[in-house]
Amino acid sequence: MKDSPLILEIKGNSLDDGPGIRTVVFFKGCPLDCSWCHNPESKTCQVELSYDAKQCIGCGACVDSCPQGAISKNHRFFVDRRVCQLCFTCADNCPSGAMSKAGRQIDMNDLLTQVMRDKPFYLTSGGGVTLSGGEPTLHMDFLSELLRHLHQNDVHTLLETCGHFNFNQFEQKLSPYIDTIYMDLKLFDPGEHEAHCGVGNQLILENFERLLELSRSGMFELLPRTPLVPGITDKKENLGAIAGFLKAHGVQQAKLLSYNPTWHAKVSMMGKDNPLADQAEMNAWMSTEDIQNCKDIFHHNGIEV
Amino acid sequence: MMNRLTRIALVMMAAMFNYRPNLNRYLKNSDGWINFTIGLKTSSGSVEQAIVFFDGRVSVLNRIPDDADAVMNFVDDKVLMAVVRITPNEMLNLILKNKIILEGNMAYLQAFNYFISLIMGRVHQKMLDKASAKERKERKALCDTGGLSREMEDRFAYRMKARADEDIGVKYLEDPYLAEYSLDDFPLIKRLHREHFNTKPAISSERPRLMTEWFRRNGFETDNRGQPWFPELRQAHAFKYLMANKVPVIRPGSLLAGTCAPEDVAVIIYPDTTGTMIWGELGSIDKRFLNPCSITKKTTEDLHDIYPFWAKRITREWIRDKYSYPLCQKIDERAVASFNFKTVSLSHTVPDVSAFINKGTKAMIAEIQEKMGSLKEDETGKADTLKSMVLCLEGLNAYAANLSKEALRLAGVERDANRKIELMTLHETCRRVPMLPARDMDEAVNALWVFWIGLVMENNNVSLSPGRLDQILQPFFEKAMEELSTGEERKQYIEHVIELLCCYFIRNAEHQNLVPDVANYLFSGSHAETAITLGGVTREGEDAVNDMTYIFLKVTEILSMRDPNMNARFKTGVNSDTYLKRLCEVNFITVATPSMHSDDAIMETLSHNYSNKIEDVRDWAVTGCVELTLSGKHMNHGGATSINMVSGLEMALNNGWHPLMNWHLGPKTGQVENGDFATFDEFYCAYARQIQFIIENAVQFNNMAAEAYAYLRPTPLLSVALQGAIDNAVDVTRGGAKYNTSGTFNIGLADVVDSLMVIKKLVFEDKKITFKQLKDAIDSNFENDPALHAMVMNKVPRFGSGDEEAVEMANQVASLIYYSYKAHKNFRGGDYTVGFWSVAQHSAYGALSGAIPGGRKAYQPFTPGLTPHPAASNSFLDNIRDVAKMNPRFMDNNIAFNVRLVPSAEDSREKTVNTMFSYIKSYFEQGGMQMQFNMVNTAVLKDAMANPENYKNLLVRISGYNAYFIHLSTDMQIEIIKRAEFGL
Repeated sequence: MKDSPLILEIKGNSLDDGPGIRTVVFFKGCPLDCSWCHNPESKTCQVELSYDAKQCIGCGACVDSCPQGAISKNHRFFVDRRVCQLCFTCADNCPSGAMSKAGRQIDMNDLLTQVMRDKPFYLTSGGGVTLSGGEPTLHMDFLSELLRHLHQNDVHTLLETCGHFNFNQFEQKLSPYIDTIYMDLKLFDPGEHEAHCGVGNQLILENFERLLELSRSGMFELLPRTPLVPGITDKKENLGAIAGFLKAHGVQQAKLLSYNPTWHAKVSMMGKDNPLADQAEMNAWMSTEDIQNCKDIFHHNGIEV
Repeated sequence: MMNRLTRIALVMMAAMFNYRPNLNRYLKNSDGWINFTIGLKTSSGSVEQAIVFFDGRVSVLNRIPDDADAVMNFVDDKVLMAVVRITPNEMLNLILKNKIILEGNMAYLQAFNYFISLIMGRVHQKMLDKASAKERKERKALCDTGGLSREMEDRFAYRMKARADEDIGVKYLEDPYLAEYSLDDFPLIKRLHREHFNTKPAISSERPRLMTEWFRRNGFETDNRGQPWFPELRQAHAFKYLMANKVPVIRPGSLLAGTCAPEDVAVIIYPDTTGTMIWGELGSIDKRFLNPCSITKKTTEDLHDIYPFWAKRITREWIRDKYSYPLCQKIDERAVASFNFKTVSLSHTVPDVSAFINKGTKAMIAEIQEKMGSLKEDETGKADTLKSMVLCLEGLNAYAANLSKEALRLAGVERDANRKIELMTLHETCRRVPMLPARDMDEAVNALWVFWIGLVMENNNVSLSPGRLDQILQPFFEKAMEELSTGEERKQYIEHVIELLCCYFIRNAEHQNLVPDVANYLFSGSHAETAITLGGVTREGEDAVNDMTYIFLKVTEILSMRDPNMNARFKTGVNSDTYLKRLCEVNFITVATPSMHSDDAIMETLSHNYSNKIEDVRDWAVTGCVELTLSGKHMNHGGATSINMVSGLEMALNNGWHPLMNWHLGPKTGQVENGDFATFDEFYCAYARQIQFIIENAVQFNNMAAEAYAYLRPTPLLSVALQGAIDNAVDVTRGGAKYNTSGTFNIGLADVVDSLMVIKKLVFEDKKITFKQLKDAIDSNFENDPALHAMVMNKVPRFGSGDEEAVEMANQVASLIYYSYKAHKNFRGGDYTVGFWSVAQHSAYGALSGAIPGGRKAYQPFTPGLTPHPAASNSFLDNIRDVAKMNPRFMDNNIAFNVRLVPSAEDSREKTVNTMFSYIKSYFEQGGMQMQFNMVNTAVLKDAMANPENYKNLLVRISGYNAYFIHLSTDMQIEIIKRAEFGL
């Protein structure tokens, strides 16, 4: 299981990650580092310690068992991450699961068995399996094998990706087994992209163009998506630029993802600070009006969202 | 000290009744003085007094005589003290919590309650008003936004369409979904619907008054010559008298003639079963908080006059006298380990409605008389049985004749020309049906309704079910459509049929069952559960879905009423997807109905029980909630008795002693604290023994109740309507029907299985804890070991998690229950059938059961039916797959499985319906038997905030996001609720 990536969760009965009823496999690890990421536990490739205060029953088993003495109810995040050595003794001893490992290795066979169990539902609903995370393409070989098995078993596959990957590898190892790709175009300006997401967007835009070509040859369906993040991606200039880019490439369909303000608690679970948590607009759902304004920008460019 | 106080209170009461004429008169009724003795004592013996009502004088004794009619046994002095300060309704609650144990005649205890309420009347009323105001305030605080109605309105506003060619069974409807119609298109129905919901139910005394009148004149046990009555004949005469003398009512605007009672929405009283349960509440039922019923002074006086006649002629009391208060009755009356419903009613079945519509009573009488002619001289029992059937049919005819006269009279004074015509039509209709075969839809439905009134006049209005009405009425629909030539005429006819059936549904909801207040709190009330079954296959195995199926679904959708209880059969590979999708849409719009059943799984289990009867099996229909019945010929008593499966567990954990009952009633099967269980199998055997003990007693009591019925209340009219009874010339209460079973429902399967898994895994296999540790934890309601509780909730696979071992355990427990019942026969020589559904018993039994190894805390409800615990899995699909893996063989009285659907404002109607369709289609394909959807709405989300442990698998519907509702911060949860309310 050397190359076996870490999986965060296998979430069944999902109705929002592609058509029909789907199982979503969330991979751990991402080449980007977006400030607004609503799955912050998916950023690094290593197993992390997650503490969910809502599930904690205050039994103190973790405090007693920590060899480093890193846990105390006086600490802001309960666990002092600078002291913590990630031995996970606390998680092993936690009766409620409040203290848990974010990320676990899973055997390919076990993973397949789990996702195939719901095949009857995929068939009756036009659903399938969605690969998400994190960024699934960080683990090309594993992903390739997984997709190949699913494809051979007539399960519809859908990949959610940020677009930052080696294209040749992608084309060779993944393309033949993917039915649909949802690709994010978050920020058009390279400087902004680097500032907010940690890397530039040149590779992403190039990959999009090359994927578009492949999709036009019938290899798979491609849908560009833009997450709306108040004050960051939802600015007129950004959306206008993305819409213009798509229009220039003859793309007529895209999707806008409404902002999800419920992610802040997850950052605390990782024991991290969250500078965006203080901003008012980051703590609220977007108004229907604002969302409509964003949609209109695309409509004006002849793009259905 | 307490003894003196009690004595003083009783003496004061006695004095008031002795010296105040306006109270003294209550001690008498038409039969003479109401005489009985009630004893009061505490378990310790610190109190012992008795109050004697005899020939108009009340006296108090210092000891309880041996022949006291009933004794109230208070657990301690404190409880006795409290009694002075509470209302009669609350008293019943104390009884159920086993703080007061009652032994003896319940009717006389109710009389005693009533007498107390006569004195304490005003005080009680003030207390009731205060309690009601408080509860109203608390409820308001919970549902402050009142935002439900907007959500619900939105659901009705949009309706999907379909095309006729999508379902080959549809002959005439252009759009089977009838999307163009809403309630607004039927102003008459809209008015009747609104009136129905704005009408407070009223207690009706017409039925018991007329019947008691007849019995007083003609005798009950013996006739006027001192000869014992043949019970069937006695009942039939009284029935005929009732039907001939009940007030014939035709409600304004109604397209159907006849009502169950003169009151607009009436609670029908059956004094030989449950009637006396509200004797003590007669003064307070009008103002109680939950489901108040209005009651006139006259009705109150009528009932007080009637009840004493019945005090010893009640099924439960008959058993008590005959069998000297047997152990099985004692267990039943504690209501914790089991509860018998036969003593409440023996009416659950699907009668042969088609015979009343298509044959008519005249032909039936001829048939019966011919049969009578063929009997031998000495077969007097059979002759009397058949004669009683004829009398009942004559009663129906007399009532129809009265309705016909009434219609004519009303037509005479009617000013509106259209209504005049309608009334004249009803006049003709009632002259014809149910005597002669119906010729069209209106006659058919009128015949059905008059027959139905007869049925609920003879027998309790609980779970009598009309069955496959779409099959029965389709020929009338087709005949009419064939005779109409233009599209416009046909459209008008379809609209008329919708209106007629809406009238029928609303009419049918006018009779309600008696709900004593304790039932309000324990079972959240109950209703008549008149089940209609749609779709499935014909007797020949063909697709049975037809135009009427869809018309019934439309009626269900626009009325959205809880009764009739709509059920839909689906045969995979035969019935269309269009039909299944429509079932899902109606479920979504109405939130709750119809319940859906798989013909594959159900016919598999029925075929096993009724081999070589495949046609009858194909003709199955639902009785009541979900019970499986072979239509028109099966005395199945679908809801005869229920058991609390968790009680067996509590008793196995306590060596046969039950904690709440504080009673060592079960066999000694081993003490956990003594280390008596070396292996899991040894404990499982203990559980099996306790369950077998509970079942044995439940069965024994049920059989005694059946015997009581055969004497007290045979049902000759119902016997006409169940094939076999005429041929055998035996009343159905004595086994005359072609098929005979007794249906059971067994509550707590998921809770038991999960608890057994905890014991098996944590104690015996993984050895993480000792059995004693676990026992100590549950004895303290997990308060002494929260970490253990967390482990139990999080670390052990449950039924519904996808874990193979847990499913195997569930099947094992189901088969244990199944074989335990099959070891017994019922009174009529038939089998017991096994169901895993609960009505609201999961709440009632849960409230009377302690904490269990599976993690459920004391007095919390169990999961409904056999629905897995919400903590079983984050994904419903695991629940669905596991329930589909249950072996249908062990579930021959059906199951109830609830699946929560979380709609999202972003989903189109089509997407929601397609998702529901996918769940149920896959479930049925995998072998599932029954499913009902629970739509998650804001009320549910609010409950999830307050009780997260019950909502572990509630999704947050956001793309690419990994979290569940209960993990969100409180602020976020509130936000989501607000958004859901406003459809954002």
